[in-house]
Amino acid sequence: MLRAFSTAATGMTAQQMMVDVIANNLANVNTNGFKRSQIDFQDLLYVEMRESGTEVASGVTTPGGLEIGSGVRAASTIKVFTPGELQSTGRPLDIAITGDGFLQVTLPNGELRYTRDGALQRNADGEMVNNMGYPIEPAITIPTDAVSVDIGKDGSVNVTDTSGTVSVVGTIQLVRFPNPSGLSSEGDNLLAETEASGTPMTGTAGENGFGTIQSGFLEKSNVQMVTELVNLINAQRAYEINSRAIRAGDDMLRTASNIAVR
Amino acid sequence: MSVITEQVSTSIEALMDEFYIITHNLANVSTVGFKRRCNAFSRVLEGQESSEEYSPGSINLESAFDFSQGGMVETGRELDFALFGRGFFVIETAAGPLYTRNGTFRTNQNGQIVDGEGRIVSGEAGPITIPANVSLSQLSVSSNGSIRVGDTAIGRFRIVDFGENESKLVPVGASCFLMPEEGIVPVAAEDVVVKQGYQESSNVRIVDELVDMIMVCRLYEANMKFITAQEETSNSIMGVAMG
Repeated sequence: MLRAFSTAATGMTAQQMMVDVIANNLANVNTNGFKRSQIDFQDLLYVEMRESGTEVASGVTTPGGLEIGSGVRAASTIKVFTPGELQSTGRPLDIAITGDGFLQVTLPNGELRYTRDGALQRNADGEMVNNMGYPIEPAITIPTDAVSVDIGKDGSVNVTDTSGTVSVVGTIQLVRFPNPSGLSSEGDNLLAETEASGTPMTGTAGENGFGTIQSGFLEKSNVQMVTELVNLINAQRAYEINSRAIRAGDDMLRTASNIAVR
Repeated sequence: MSVITEQVSTSIEALMDEFYIITHNLANVSTVGFKRRCNAFSRVLEGQESSEEYSPGSINLESAFDFSQGGMVETGRELDFALFGRGFFVIETAAGPLYTRNGTFRTNQNGQIVDGEGRIVSGEAGPITIPANVSLSQLSVSSNGSIRVGDTAIGRFRIVDFGENESKLVPVGASCFLMPEEGIVPVAAEDVVVKQGYQESSNVRIVDELVDMIMVCRLYEANMKFITAQEETSNSIMGVAMG
């Protein structure tokens, strides 16, 4: 009976984890560039109670063995990199990547991080930074006398100065990974390279499979509220059913103990 | 008298096994590609109620997997694949191939398509590598499992079918199955459709499992009643004998 209890308990733990993942997705329904996570369950190892082909009576063998599974575990969460909706903001420094690619930002310690959140700003020195103040890589400085800034589809940053001359001050580079789902989430909309993600490849927007850059737009979260809520109901019901199994097991045990103590 | 005890304990043991199977099915109600175990025992008992012959030990608890189709759930993820129809994906491991219906794949750092544990998913011609200059959103997978980027084919999933021998597969966890018998070679699956952006949900039906669970609990109780009744009978016989 203990086995049934622990099996049902693994089911409850897994569903609880699913609720955790859904809750985080729902909390980030309005986060720019957020990618929803999907949880992946796997069944646990099986205990072979009887091998297939065992002789149960003379000349009669079982066609199938009896393997009893021991429950479920949450194997991993996967980030789903489907595109989020584009929202028009009209701000020239808001950029959205349509297609594949990440922006790179440099942390104060010199390490690189990757993000899809394109709400860029200008800091006091005129550098283009993300909303945490980390400069984008390669660094692009907008001259102080710039009247307007315009970012092209290929990432080129065009600046118009007071005399009306347009000059290119830099090009925003994009980065791709062989396995973007392997990136680790660091919070603040930032992702970090891991061994699983593979080495980053830099390139220009619109070339070699990179997406293009849309200025004046922000990529919203790709969380679909309805899907998440449906998943939430499923998880809650599955949790309930597993607790029901524990109760049924408990009832069976009670029946047995009633006989024992008579 | 001891015959009854023996019979009761056999069926209690079998009922417990069945209860374990049901709890395992219920725990895996949201496991992608999971195939429920049939719990044939209660059905066997039902059948035996009507038949005249009954001898302990004749209960053949045939707990085979139910390989029926699970539901199709849309995820929109480029590397989620669901199989519709008979067939398995092949996973390459050091200890030989494993077979799975869980098509939640990833790419590894070399761009090869791998399963959730990082093991290589077998293609018709070895591992399938997604070229570095191709983004996942450009992948399209046709219903026969061939993967294309634009007009260029980059590989095709190996999807196999065991036909009659499907019931000989042994589960090894992580939604994978193993073929323990060496002689059985799977053939290429024919009646199968690969759907990209979908997952095949577990084929556990909650209501069926709950009904079975109630059945098991009641049968268990009934068997326990037998023991109680037997105790009372023996008490009263003793009472008569002792005067």
